Amino acid sequence: MTTEATSANRAAKPPGFRSRIETWVGGQSERLVSAAFIWPAVLLVLSISVFPLFVALYLGFSDVELVRGGFDIHWIGLDNFRALFSGEDKSEFLGVSGSLTPLGWLVIVAGLGLFAWGLVKAARGGVALVGLVFRALAVVFGAMLLWQVVHTLLAHGGRPGTVVTTLVFVCTGVALQFGLGLGLAYLVTLGLPGQRFFRVVFLLPMTITPVGVAYLFSMLMDTDKGPLQPLFRAVGLGNWSWANSAWGARIAVIVGDTWQWTPFMFIVLLAALEGQDPEPIEAAVVDGANRWRVLRDITMPAIFPIALTVILLRLIEAFKVIDLPNVLTSGGPGTATESMTLQAYIQWRSLDIGMSAATANCLMILVTVIAVVYVNLLRRRAVADA
Amino acid sequence: MKRFGLLAFLAVAVLVAAATSTGGNSRSAAKPFAGVTVNVVTFTGPQIAEPLQRRAPAFNKLTGAKVNIITVPFSDLYEKILTDAATGTNSYDAYVFDPQWLGDFVPAGYLEDLTSRVKADKKIQWNDIGPFFRNFSATFQGRTYTVPMDGDFQMVYYRKDILARDHVKPPATWDDYLAIAKRYNGKDLNGDGKGDYGSCIAKKRAAQSYWMIYSIAGAFLQSLGTKQGAFFDVKTMQPLIQNAGFARALDIYNETTKYAPPDERNLDVGATRGLFTSGRCMFSLDWGDIGTLAIDPKTSTVQNKVGSIILPGSRQVVNRKTGKLVACTKVTCPYAINGVNHAPFAAYGGWSGAVNAASDTKTKDAAYAFLSYMSQPAQANVDVTLGKTGFNPYRASQFKNLRLWIKAGMSKAAAEDYLGAIRRSLQSPNMILDLRVPKAAQYEGVVLDTALAQFLAGEISRDHAMKQITDGWNSITDKVGRDKQRAAYAGSLNIQK
Amino acid sequence: MTRPLARRSTRDISPRAKLLAYLVLGFWSLVVLFPLYWLVVTSFKVPIQVFDGPKYIPWGDFKPTLDNWRYIFGPLRNDTLRPYENSVIVTAFSSTFALLLGSSAAYGLARFHYQPKLGTIGLVFGCFVLGAGAVLLGVPLPVAVAAAIAAFLLLAKLLIGRFRRTISNRDIAFWIISQRILPPVAVVIPIYVFFQNLHLLDTRTALVITYTAANLPIVVWLMRDYFNTIPLELDQAAAIDGAGRFRVFRTIMLPLSVPGLVAVFLLVFVFAWNEYLLALFLTSANAQTMPITVAAQNATRGPQWWYMSVLIMIMIAPVIALAIALERRISRGLLVGAVKA
Repeated sequence: MTTEATSANRAAKPPGFRSRIETWVGGQSERLVSAAFIWPAVLLVLSISVFPLFVALYLGFSDVELVRGGFDIHWIGLDNFRALFSGEDKSEFLGVSGSLTPLGWLVIVAGLGLFAWGLVKAARGGVALVGLVFRALAVVFGAMLLWQVVHTLLAHGGRPGTVVTTLVFVCTGVALQFGLGLGLAYLVTLGLPGQRFFRVVFLLPMTITPVGVAYLFSMLMDTDKGPLQPLFRAVGLGNWSWANSAWGARIAVIVGDTWQWTPFMFIVLLAALEGQDPEPIEAAVVDGANRWRVLRDITMPAIFPIALTVILLRLIEAFKVIDLPNVLTSGGPGTATESMTLQAYIQWRSLDIGMSAATANCLMILVTVIAVVYVNLLRRRAVADA
Repeated sequence: MKRFGLLAFLAVAVLVAAATSTGGNSRSAAKPFAGVTVNVVTFTGPQIAEPLQRRAPAFNKLTGAKVNIITVPFSDLYEKILTDAATGTNSYDAYVFDPQWLGDFVPAGYLEDLTSRVKADKKIQWNDIGPFFRNFSATFQGRTYTVPMDGDFQMVYYRKDILARDHVKPPATWDDYLAIAKRYNGKDLNGDGKGDYGSCIAKKRAAQSYWMIYSIAGAFLQSLGTKQGAFFDVKTMQPLIQNAGFARALDIYNETTKYAPPDERNLDVGATRGLFTSGRCMFSLDWGDIGTLAIDPKTSTVQNKVGSIILPGSRQVVNRKTGKLVACTKVTCPYAINGVNHAPFAAYGGWSGAVNAASDTKTKDAAYAFLSYMSQPAQANVDVTLGKTGFNPYRASQFKNLRLWIKAGMSKAAAEDYLGAIRRSLQSPNMILDLRVPKAAQYEGVVLDTALAQFLAGEISRDHAMKQITDGWNSITDKVGRDKQRAAYAGSLNIQK
Repeated sequence: MTRPLARRSTRDISPRAKLLAYLVLGFWSLVVLFPLYWLVVTSFKVPIQVFDGPKYIPWGDFKPTLDNWRYIFGPLRNDTLRPYENSVIVTAFSSTFALLLGSSAAYGLARFHYQPKLGTIGLVFGCFVLGAGAVLLGVPLPVAVAAAIAAFLLLAKLLIGRFRRTISNRDIAFWIISQRILPPVAVVIPIYVFFQNLHLLDTRTALVITYTAANLPIVVWLMRDYFNTIPLELDQAAAIDGAGRFRVFRTIMLPLSVPGLVAVFLLVFVFAWNEYLLALFLTSANAQTMPITVAAQNATRGPQWWYMSVLIMIMIAPVIALAIALERRISRGLLVGAVKA
C-alpha cells in the first residue's frame, strides 16, 4: 500500500534538479558511489594527519636544533629512548621501583595468571598462528606494564613515573566519567519534570576551554582563599595542602578531569538512549515488564556498542591529559602528577624537540596497543552478542 | 567683468591649493615613519604589554609609525618567537623579551646590532641606564643588541613596622632571615586574629622558583665580582653545584618552607605577592614588583609598612678548588659589607626590546625608535612607578628623583628605602648576571626546576638533587659543545678573551 | 511506527525512586554550577578581594565592581573582539565540515563493505608522503599535487594487483581514530612547517583545515554507531522505491539520526572552540583565537583570576546558547519520513 502510494506520488511530480542529479549519481556503479562517501574524509586525514605522524616518529630518533633557516635534524638512533628507559630521565618516566608488598605479589600473580589463561584459551579455541603471536605480544606488553605499575604503586619506596601516573589518571577517570555519565543520562530520560534544565546544566563543564577549567579548579581547590576553605577548615584540613601530597594532588586532577569530561559521556549516551528504537520497549511494556527489566534487557544491550565507542574515544583523549596537572601543580609535587604528555610538553617548551617526540612516541605506542586490544577484545564480543 | 572674477577665483584657488599642499608636505616631513608598520611581540600583560599598548598611539602621532603589540602566553613566548625567527617566518619586527635568550638569538644572527643606533641616539640617555644593565643585559660580546626597559633583580621585603616595633634589625645573612622568620611564624601580622607566616617564597614548579634558589645560593658562590660567574666555572664550564655552598643554600631554601603557608610549594609569585600585600607574611623574596604593588590600595593593605633590603648574604663562601666553605676575608670577599658577602641577583635581567635583523631597514629604524621611546626617561620614569606596568627601576634618574615615587603614592621613607635597596643592588660590583647561554631555558627551566621540585617534595635527597642537576647540565653542555658553551658563557660575562 | 517515542510516563516510578533521582540530579547540578558561580563572582572582584580569603556573596561579603569587565571591553577590546571573531568563524566552519565529511564517511563505513587491497593502500600512502614531503621541501603546492597524482597513476598498474590481502571497514575505522592518539605537542612542528610552505600561517584557513581533520575521527566513529542502530530494512525499502544512495542518506539516515548529529556537532564544536596548542602555533597576529587569550592571563607574575573569569565567561556564553538551542533536538521529536506502515 505504501509502495503504491509513493510511486504514484512520484509519478505525479516532475523530478526536481537535485533528485535528477541524485538519481544519475545513484545509478552509477555501487563502487563509485561508495567511494564517494568515504574518500573526502580519507583524503583530508591523509594530508593533514599522516605526514606529521611520520615526521614525529622520525624526530623521536633525532636531535633537533633550531638554527637559522629552520630545523637542523640529525639522527641519533635510540639515544632519546635510552635516556627515557635507562638513562637520566628514567626515574621521571618509568618511576622508581620498590620492594613488593604482599598485595603487590598477589596482584602480579593474579594478573599474570589471567594473561596466561587468556592465551591458553585462545590457543585451544583454534586461533590462527598469526593471531596467537599477536596475542602473545600483547600479553608480554601487558605483563611489563603490570610489573611496572605494581612495583611503583604497591611497593615500599616505589614512586610512579609518568607512565604509571598517566595510567592511573586514565583508568580511574574514565571509569568515573562513564559511570556518572550513564547514570545521569538515564535519569534524565525518565521524563521527570524539569529534566530540560538538567540536560543543559550537565553539558556546561565541557564548554569551558580546558586551560580555563584548570585555572578554575586551581582557584577552587585553594585551601587558603578558595571557596571550599571553610569546608577544609571544618574537616580539620585547614593547614593541609593537597598540593603537598602526591596522592592529594592526583586526586585533585582526577576530580577536575571528571568534572570536565563527564558531559562528554553524558551527551553521547543521552543521544543513544533517546535514539533507541521504541518498538522493543513498547512491546516489553505491553508484556508487563517493569522499568528495571527494560533497562537491563533491552536498553543496555542496545547502547552497548556506542558505550564501547565512547569509552574508547574518551580513553584516547584521556591519555593526552595535560592542562589540569600543568596548571594545578605544574606536574608537582615533584613529579607526582606529571603525565606523559606533560613531560613531553615540558621538554618541548625548552625546545628539546627530539626528546619530546620520543616521549610522545612512547605514549602513542602505549595507547595504540591498548586501543587495539580493546577494540579486538570487546568489540568482537559486542558483535558476537548482538 | 565676469570673466575677470572667474580668473581671480581660479588664481586664488590655485594659490590656496599650493599653499596647503606645501603645508601638508612639511607636516609629513616631520613624521619620519609614516606608513611604516611595526609588529612588536611580547607576552600577554597587563605587565609589559600594557605600557607598550598605552604608548603606541602617542608614538604614532609623533612619528607616523603604526605599532602593533602582539601578545603570546608567557610560558610559550620562548619557543614561539625562536621558531618564528629560525624558520624565517618573521611575523615580528621587534621583540620585548628576556635578555637571557640573547645566547640563543645573537649567535644565530636573528637580532639587529643596535650599537651604532644607540651611539647616535641622544634622547635615550644611554648613560642614565644602570651600568649593570648597559654592560650585561644589553650587550653581548661587545655589541649592543637590546634596549633595556625594565630592571629585574631580586630583593627581600619585610614588614618594617613590626621589626621596628620589636627593635629587630633586618636580616644581613640568610641565617638571620631564618631566625626572624621562625620567630614570627604563626603570629598575627595583619591584625585579623589569624596566625600568619614568617616567609612567603614562590616555590611552584615551572613558575619562578629556579630564580629564587640563586638569590640564596649566590652569596655563597660568587664573591669576586660579576665576572667570576655563579653558574659555571668560567674555565672548565663545570657546573658550580656540587659544593658545600649550594648544599647550604638548598638546606636554607628547604627550611624556609617550615615558616611558610602550607601550600607554599604550589605558590607562584602572584600568590606570594598577594599574601605579602595583604599583610600575611613577614618576609618575601621577589623582584621589584612588591614595592609598587604595596602602594596600590586596590591590592595592598600594607602601604608604608614595607621595607626592602638587598639580598641577605653570607659570612662564608665556597672555595672553588675544594668545594668547601671558607670564612669571608678581605681576600676571599673583597666586596663584603661588614664581613658579609652580598651577591644581588639580577634574575631574569629585565624585559628588553630587540629588533629583528630580517626586517627591512625602514621598519628596523622605526622599531628601534619605538623601543628607544619607551626607554626614554620621559616615558620610563613614569611607567616604573606604576605597579601594573611590570617595569621596575633601572635608570639612575629613577632613583634620584624621589618626587616621582612620592607622586605615585609612596611615603618619603618608603621611597628612600625601596630605591636605596635597588640602588645598592645595582651598584654592587658583585651582582650576579643570570645565565645567558644557548639553551639557558633548558638548564634552568627544565633540569634545575625539576630537581628543585623533586627535592622540595621529598622525592629525592639533597645530594641526589645536586648530582641530578650537575649531570643534567653537563649533558646539555656536551650536546651543544663544551667549548662553544664556555665561549658563550665567558662572552656573556663580558670577559674579552 | 509513525508514533513518536512517547514521553515516558512517570507513573511507574515510586515516589522514593523519584526522590532519589532528584537527589542525584540535584547534587550533580550543584557540583556543576558551583564552580561556574564562583567564576561569575570572581569576575566582579578586585585582586585584593581574591587574595584575602573566600568571599561568596556580592554586596554581602564584598563589594562587586565592574572594573574587570570595563578593562576587557575597554583597553583590551581589540585584543578580545578579534580573537572572538576568529574563534567563531573557525569553529563554525570546521565543525560543519567535519560533520558533513564525517557523517558521509560514517555512512559509508556502516553500509558499504570496503575492501581495499593492501597494494592500493600502500600506493596511496606512498604518494601522499611524497606529495607532503615535496611541500615540506618547498615545492609549490600544485606541482606537488601533480607529482603525487602522476606517481600514483604510473605505479597503479604495477602495485594494485600485487598484494591480494585486503583490509576491512573495521581497520579503516581504526586507522581513522588512531589519528587522535598522538598528542598535539608532537605534531605541532611538522604542521607548522607544512603550513608555512603553503603560506597559510596566521590564517583562519589553516585552522579550519586542521580542526576539520583533527575532529573528523570523532564524527566518524560516533555517527557510525548511530547509523548502525538504524535498521537496514529502511535503506532497502527506500532503494526499492528507487531512491539512490545519496537520497537514502539525505532523506532517511540523517533525519533519523538527528539526536546523534546534534550531539556530535556540539562535541566537535566544543573541541574546536577550546583548542589551544595548534592555535597558538599556527597563528601570530591576525588569526589568534580565544583560548590563547584565556591562557595568556597567566602572566609571568601569576595568574590573573579576575580577568580570566571574564574571558572564560564570554567564551562559554555562545556555547551555552548553542547547547540550549540544540538540546531540544537531542530528544527525539516526530519521526520524519519513516517508511514502515
